[in-house]
Amino acid sequence: MPKKDQANKIDHKLVLQELKENPYKKLNIAFSLMVIVPFLVFLYLLTNRLFSFNILVGNIGLILFLSFFISLCGFYIGFSILKNIFNQILSYAAQAKHSDQLKSTFVATVSHELKNPLASIKINIYNIFSGFIGQVNDEQKNVLGLCQSTVERMARLVNGLLDLHKIEAGVIDVKRGKLNLAEISSKQIQELQASADKKKIKIIKEFLDEVSVWGDEDKLSQAITNLLSNGIKFTPENGMVTLKIYLDDKFVKIECIDTGLGIPDDQISALFNKFERLNSTKEGTGLGLAITKDIVEMHRGKVLVESKLGKGSKFIIVLPSDLRVRKR
Amino acid sequence: MPENTAKKILIIEDEKELVLGLATLLKAQGYAIIAANDSLFGISLAHKEKPDLIILDLGLPAGGGFYVLDNLKRSTETFSIPVLVLTAQQGADLEEQVKQKGAVAYFHKPFEPEPLLGRIKEVLKIVT
Repeated sequence: MPKKDQANKIDHKLVLQELKENPYKKLNIAFSLMVIVPFLVFLYLLTNRLFSFNILVGNIGLILFLSFFISLCGFYIGFSILKNIFNQILSYAAQAKHSDQLKSTFVATVSHELKNPLASIKINIYNIFSGFIGQVNDEQKNVLGLCQSTVERMARLVNGLLDLHKIEAGVIDVKRGKLNLAEISSKQIQELQASADKKKIKIIKEFLDEVSVWGDEDKLSQAITNLLSNGIKFTPENGMVTLKIYLDDKFVKIECIDTGLGIPDDQISALFNKFERLNSTKEGTGLGLAITKDIVEMHRGKVLVESKLGKGSKFIIVLPSDLRVRKR
Repeated sequence: MPENTAKKILIIEDEKELVLGLATLLKAQGYAIIAANDSLFGISLAHKEKPDLIILDLGLPAGGGFYVLDNLKRSTETFSIPVLVLTAQQGADLEEQVKQKGAVAYFHKPFEPEPLLGRIKEVLKIVT
């Protein structure tokens, strides 16, 4: 058997294993019934109604057997055609699955292999910047600073790609636990405080201590951080970023409001697409909001956006407060 | 700087540019550095040199980081040496796994140098 056919056969089996019911089995049963039912009717008519086997001899008998034979051939041909269609569908499914697996392996390998050189570049730039290898003047430090921020961006991009790949491949584990959103958000604000201070941006907390949600701490922290860091990134100096968390009926709302540039209406719908960056920005990887949306949807929530050009934007994460309650 | 002169750190890592960077960084803090670029050489160097701390990569040739970690923690000569793990691998339970196997800290590549230095200082102080 040629190698390609062999590979297809293996993939076929993989696809078949994943299906809850084997379609071939049903096809066989359907055709068996289609053959058996007329045969039984024929036997019934012959033995109970016609009371005679004379019908089987002579020209009529010949015609009867011929028609019986032709109908059997018809069934067989019909069965083969349907089986071929089944095979083709399964083979396309197998090919799609195979290319998905290849894509996943490719993304994971490339991202992983990029991390080692990134770590080397990062630490070596740090060494030069810190003067461990020799004196560095201010101009050189500026250039090294640029290199550092480029490496940071690349690292974020690689991590973002890996996260997104995991979410899309469905291999990400979502742990469910009762989370205190105030606690998580305060932690994230603390981590981002330095970058806010650099731009003299004030981060305002507007949340009560008791708002909690059922979800994955790491993932939701990442979603909140993404919104906050976007807010800081797109707000000019001396601006404000507010994080509001409150309970609205059976939903928890997390609002991140900035006094930034705002988003043009025609660009809002594309905001959550992968690698989509606003025309006005050079920063960012274009993955943060796509990841945030995926994370929130994993928690059966949604992300909403309101924005006014020149005034600022509001991103709202809406989450069911108790994911243990099933939808009816 | 001279406060760390007595401390010897073994780096087990196959990415030579990273070894160079780590060595420069740690030497600047006054640590003495030795390095191995694969698992087996790393284990033999740990036994021979008895470093104060080991920085271990997980994706290593000739066995891998987990093999080295198991080996170091099984040996009476090396089990007390603190091991700090660096890795580019990702996994939800990876940190838990390496800590269960006896590593004192876990850093994901590309890591920030300052927290790494802080942790090294902390660990060496505890050991002393």
